[in-house]
Order: sequence, then structure tokens, then C-alpha cells
Amino acid sequence: MLLHGFAVALTPGNLLYVFLGTIIGTVIGVLPGLGPTASIALMLPVTIGMDMVSALIFLAGIYYGAMYGGSTTSILVNIPGEAASVVTCIDGYQMARQGRAGPALGMSAFGSFVGGTLGVVAVMLISPLLAEAALKFGPPEMFALLFFAFTCVGGLTGKSRARGLLMASLGLLLGTVGTDAIHGVDRFTFGTLYLQDGIALVPLALGLFGMGEILYNIERREESGSVLQTPKDLLPTRQDWKDSWWPIVRGSGVGFGIGILPGGMPAVASLLSYAVERRLAKQPERFGKGAIQGVAGPETANNAATAGGFVPLLTLGIPTNSVLALMLAALMLHGVTPGPLLLFKWPDVFWGVIASMYIGNVMLLILNLPLIGLFVQILKVPYAVLSPLIIMFVLLGAYALNNSVTDVFATILFGIAGYLMKRYGLEPAPLVLAYVIGPMLENNLSKSLILARSAGLSLFFSRPISGTLLGLALLVLAYPLIRRCLGWGGNRPKAATPVSGAP
Amino acid sequence: MLLDRVLGLGAVLLAVPLGLASWGFGLGSPRSPGPGFWPFLVTLSIAALGAALVLRPDRAFRAPGGTGSRWGSLGIALATLGFFVLALEPLGYPVTTGLLLLVQFRWVEGRPWRTSLLAAVLAAAVSFVLFRLVLHVPLPTGVLPLPRGW
Repeated sequence: MLLHGFAVALTPGNLLYVFLGTIIGTVIGVLPGLGPTASIALMLPVTIGMDMVSALIFLAGIYYGAMYGGSTTSILVNIPGEAASVVTCIDGYQMARQGRAGPALGMSAFGSFVGGTLGVVAVMLISPLLAEAALKFGPPEMFALLFFAFTCVGGLTGKSRARGLLMASLGLLLGTVGTDAIHGVDRFTFGTLYLQDGIALVPLALGLFGMGEILYNIERREESGSVLQTPKDLLPTRQDWKDSWWPIVRGSGVGFGIGILPGGMPAVASLLSYAVERRLAKQPERFGKGAIQGVAGPETANNAATAGGFVPLLTLGIPTNSVLALMLAALMLHGVTPGPLLLFKWPDVFWGVIASMYIGNVMLLILNLPLIGLFVQILKVPYAVLSPLIIMFVLLGAYALNNSVTDVFATILFGIAGYLMKRYGLEPAPLVLAYVIGPMLENNLSKSLILARSAGLSLFFSRPISGTLLGLALLVLAYPLIRRCLGWGGNRPKAATPVSGAP
Repeated sequence: MLLDRVLGLGAVLLAVPLGLASWGFGLGSPRSPGPGFWPFLVTLSIAALGAALVLRPDRAFRAPGGTGSRWGSLGIALATLGFFVLALEPLGYPVTTGLLLLVQFRWVEGRPWRTSLLAAVLAAAVSFVLFRLVLHVPLPTGVLPLPRGW
């Protein structure tokens, strides 16, 4: 069956579509302000003329490509291409600052490849079983999982858990701005029309990460030096490979596991992978300062999650995030009804998509490796020249989102906030990640409480999966307290050391 | 130490009016949560974490990088950003961006006149063509006399 799928996928026409899709996807991933959701929505009409397998292959290529592209800007200029790349900024950018952009990009590409490929293998082998297991995840389980992810967010940067969680809580608060989905009540909109839709991710992320970083560097630039050290090696070293091996393996597992769940966002997968790697690392203090495990793990996880998302889509007809919802629309446009019968009625579609995902991954790896050399050249441009260009890029991206000057204004405000945060040692990553998962947290909490009726909060603990996850989350939160009480260790979080030091 | 305390205090002070506002949205009941339920929980969390920071502050933080502070450059940069927001639609993307880049290259980054002018015009033009013509993003043209259909 798979061979048949390869036969379908390897036709010149479809190969071309994979190629086009991955290139477009990569470009879109690199450009801020154009996420995979928007671009797939734009490309959907274009695919009406294609036959259904080609259309899916094309769109899947874009999705994958965007995952690869988003991490490039995260590493090079600390601007996440989309939510899934936010975590890569943390260590990836630090690696670039230390002259190690090449290894970071390389390991990111390789990890993405492994994650995506292993994910596809898993999709192929165990789709029906996995789909059933995923169905066991109801709102309480989703809430518990997201809450667990939230507690990990707090520990992302390790300088101070309380500070991290505070930033995350602020992110949650920002996520509540806008019209409440269930009741239609305006929350924190201050009477403006603009805020009724809530704060958009693009101005928030572009502002806090991109603009904030630029403003900070403008204020703090040394007269002669450059912000980014000249890149030394182009490819990862042997030590890098040794360090990254397990994170990649674990990232694939974590990513795929998250991807098959409803609401399984690659962003959540990358976040959890980072937390896992940090917890398991022999030198956790290196995280946040350019630890390659902090790039390898999350990048693998987000591609594995992307692949995992196709399981519920193809076997049950349930899209687990907005991009896959668009794919569902694409399928339906072509007369395919996804669901348990997809495999039987349209085997071409199923196997064709699977085969194209393999090919797409390989293609992206081949495309990206030479590009690393090119991207690294970009870093050799003096920062004084890059800085205004990045500003232009950010402003352009902010405007392009909705043709709205207000978005640009919001980006600038967030940029100022980002600058202040950087100046006073507050991390934007927990804030943005919490902002992304906040609405899902609230949604699942509300649904769970309504489901629970009189049982109330005990519902979460009486169900095995959610109980375990919540227990874990509470453990994570209480861990420092436990350590103190039992007199273990006694390591206070280390004060930040200057980042421009050698790796 | 002090920073954490200030931050914590600020957080608590922020949480109070926001918590009250959430209360105002309607908490509903645990069986049927209202619009204010979740925001209220979040403000509680902010208040609690703020208090934790005030009571157990971490050691002092030193911002990484750089020796001097280039306030002047930062001020100019912010001014260009403000200009961009105000001028984008009236003056159009190419002109506004060109001016922004010119000021940035020349005064924020201190490059010589010719390089600044050249880089500004080039970057503004290329990005305009790329985004508007190739990617069909409707950037405002403003005062620039472009042929119809552009």
C-alpha cells in the first residue's frame, strides 16, 4: 500500500507540488507576519484546480516548510516565525550570538527531519490505534495536559521560577483580552474595536522578540563590536551530535504524542520537549545560554507534532488545529469525506499524503542544508546595517497581517515592552507561550466544569489521565518547596552571567 | 533583590483592579463558569506570584552586554517608529520606509550619507516590489505617483 502511495507521490507533477509547497512554506515560515494558517488559507483556492492528492501534497508541503522556516529567523535574529518556533529562540539565538548559528541551523534542520520522518512512520504504522487512544482525551485531560505545560513554561528560563510563572500569568491575562468566546462578553477591551478580537500573536511576538531585541541592541551597542560573533563552524561538531542524539529521540516521542491529541499544537510540543530536556540534562544551567539540546529537542518535537496531527485528521476526520482544519476543508472541497472510511474509499489520498510527507521531509533537509551557508553569510553583515533592515521587516510583517496601522502601533508598543523586559531580565518566551495556550486552557476548564456538574473540581482527579497529569504539574510547582523543606541541595538559582561569553 | 520586590509589588497592584474587573464580568458558578471566572483565576495567580516575589526575591540581576547606554540613538529610533505609524498611510509605504531607513542608517547607526541614502532607497524599493507585486500584499502607495494597476 505504501509502495502504491510512493507511486502516486513520485509522479513528476506531484513531485513538483511537493517542491513548490516546501519552498513556499519555508519562505512563509521565514517571513514574520505570514503564518502557515494564513498562507494555506490563501493557497486553498489555488488548489481547486488540482486533483485532490496533489492538492493535499502541496498544502502539506507548505505546512512542513513553514515549520522549518520559522526556526531560521528564531535562530538568526530572535524573531520566531510562528508560535512553534518561540522556544527555539531561547537557545538558538544565544548560539548564534556565540558564533554557532551554523550548528544551530544544522541541528534544527536535522532534528526537524528526524522528527518529521519518524512521525510519518508512526502515522503510517499505528494510525487506527492511536486515534482510539486520542479519543480518550476529553476536556479534563486536555486541561490537565495544558496546565502541566503551563507549569513547565514557568521553568523555561530557570533564573527564577516565580518570575517565569509571573510572566506566564501575564501572558494568560493577555490571552483573555477580547470578546469571550462562550458568553460574548467583551473583556478588557477598553471599549475599542481593535481589541475585540484580542491581541494578535503576530504583533505580540514581533514586538516582544524582534523589536524589543533591536531596541535593546540600539541602546546597548558597544561602539565597535557587533552583537553577533562571526560564525565559526558551519556544521555541528561531534560533541553536538552526541549531545543532541537523545533530545532528538525524545523530541520525536513527545512531539508525536502531543500532535495526535486534540488541540495538539506543535508549539506545546516544542515547549514540553524543552522542559524535558532541561530536566534531564547533565548541565541544566547551560540552557538559556546556547545549549544545543534546547534547539534539537524542540525542533524535532514540533515537526513530529505536525506529523502527528495528521493521524486524527486522516483516520477520524478531526482536525486538531487550525492548519489541519484548513486541510480538512481542502479535502472536502475535493469531495473527500475524511473519517474512518478514508483509508478504504480513498486509499490514494491516505498513502499519497503519507508518501509525500516522507519526500517533503527529505526535500526540506536537502534544501535547507546549503541554505545554512547562505543564512550564515547574512550574519556576517555588520549589525549596524542589519538593524534598520530588521526594523523594516518587522514593521512590514506587522502591517501585512491585516493592512492595519494599529497592528504596527501595537507591535511598536510591545517592542518597547520587550526592550524594558530585556533590560530588567524578564523573559518574553513564557509570556508568549502562555498567551498561546491560555484560551485553550480556559476553554477546556469551562467545558470540564460544565461536564462535571456537581462533582466540581474533583472530576479532574477522579479521571486517571487528568489526575496523573495534574499531579505531575503540582509536583513541578511544588518541587522547589519540597527541596527546601527536605533540605536537599540548596542550590539557589544562579544569577545571570554575561551572555557574550564563550560557549 | 530590589527589582524582584518592585516587580512583585507591581504585579499585586496590577492584579487588584483587574481582579475586580473580572469579578464584574460575572464569575458564574463552578458548575457554569461566567466570563470573569478564568480572568479572575489568572489575576489571583498574578497576585500570589507577585507576593512570592516580594517575600522571596532573587539575587540582583545584571543586564547582559554593552558598556555605554546610547539613549540618543534609542530616542531617535523611537521617533522614527512613531513617524512610521503616523505617516504610513498618508505618505505611503515606499516614502515612509525610505525616510525611516534613511534616518536609521544615518543617525542611529552613523553610516555616511551616500551609503545611507542608497541603502534606504534600495531596501524600501525592493521590499515594496516584493511584497506588493509578488506577494500581493496591499501596501499603501501614498504620495508616490505610480501607474494604475500597481
